[in-house]
Amino acid sequence: MSFLARTFKPAAAFARVSRQAATRLYASEASAASSGKLVLNFALPHQIVLSSKEVNQVDLSAVSGDLGILADHVPTIEQLKPGVIDIIADSGAEKYFVSGGFAIMNPNSVLNINAIEAFKLEDIDAQAVASQLAESQRLAASAKDELTKEAAAIEIELYEAIQTALSTKAH
Amino acid sequence: MFARSAIATRSAAPALNVIGQTRNMATLKEIQNRLKSITNISKITASMKMIASTKVTRAQRAMKIARIYGNVSSDFIEQAEVKKADGAKELVVVVSSDKGLCSGIHSSLSRHTRKYLADYPEAPVAIIGDKAKSQIQRLFAQNMTYSFNQIGSTIPAFDETSAIASVIISDKSIEFDNIKLVYNKFASAIAFETTEIECFPASQIVEAPGFKSYEVQEEILENLNEFLFANNLHWALVEGHAAEMAAKRTAMENATKNAGDIIQRLTLQYNRGRQTVITNELIEIITGASAL
Repeated sequence: MSFLARTFKPAAAFARVSRQAATRLYASEASAASSGKLVLNFALPHQIVLSSKEVNQVDLSAVSGDLGILADHVPTIEQLKPGVIDIIADSGAEKYFVSGGFAIMNPNSVLNINAIEAFKLEDIDAQAVASQLAESQRLAASAKDELTKEAAAIEIELYEAIQTALSTKAH
Repeated sequence: MFARSAIATRSAAPALNVIGQTRNMATLKEIQNRLKSITNISKITASMKMIASTKVTRAQRAMKIARIYGNVSSDFIEQAEVKKADGAKELVVVVSSDKGLCSGIHSSLSRHTRKYLADYPEAPVAIIGDKAKSQIQRLFAQNMTYSFNQIGSTIPAFDETSAIASVIISDKSIEFDNIKLVYNKFASAIAFETTEIECFPASQIVEAPGFKSYEVQEEILENLNEFLFANNLHWALVEGHAAEMAAKRTAMENATKNAGDIIQRLTLQYNRGRQTVITNELIEIITGASAL
């Protein structure tokens, strides 16, 4: 499981939360006529999780906040933070933990999600997460240079997010 | 009598044909050595072909995924109709690798880059892979910014891609608007095409006609752009790798076939030479015997 954590690290770099004041650009043009169905493309660099799948709703954990996307949602670009993506289709609901990436909702009711790593919650080992979290916290406390401190902070954010996801799932 | 003259004529014939046709023991040894070395070479190229074949199947599978990943990522760019600004400065990123013996893969990339640099001699260039680096550095050393190696022996993973992407993006001393990724597209198992992927700056995305329909937080635009660049780079790296493996397989297959042809030709030569030697010996014995 430590391999999982290590491949998360560079991915998590992209999920770094921006702490500046939020400026939201709103859609000034309405999109085309509704088509009724939400089509989801969910791709990772090494695996295509879902391709052109018709779903009902997708819940995302974005940097700007959590949001749920339904068919013909306003086109939007969201940076994903480490968290759970909940995909609700007619065939059932699937939850994936993603390390980070982007979700782009297009005017033609196509939702594109590019993430670096995504795993089903049941595939994650809680104990490994706890030990890695402790390791990162120790590193953050003892690190001498800025870069290691930053990297450790990203890891801590990631592991805490995994723990939250796993604990909410358990309930 | 008649037989002797016939034999006499025959032994005269090889002596008349001077260029490389003198059959004696020393030449036979040379041919034998050549045969041995070429047989070894053909064994090596045959095994390299086998290795390349297995790598091709795996690389193709990864390429299919990377293509979809790249298309999903650039879907937004197409839908928003992001265009290139007039007079935009380009940074050329050449996606090649460190290993050779793959026919025209690296030279095709260098040719393409050199043609572009002939029109835009000021453009900065970043090169991934030693083979293209040595070819481009000869003429355009002043354009080189970064070069990366240790790429190409395995299927590129995203952490390699993001490492390369961060180095290129975080160097603020290089001036560029767009990034042009030059890579080899896998056309088929025996053909590849040198193609480009264009990566736009965040300013161009904001200018795009379709962008007005999107709701977005301004701060993440730069992150989005870096992410899109990394995704495109990943696509280029994985597809370039697949194209290279396929080219290597074809090159080794041709090499093995050519080696086989040479072996056949040399074997014939060797046998003919051996027979000539034996014939000459026979002539000597017979003439010697008939003189008694």
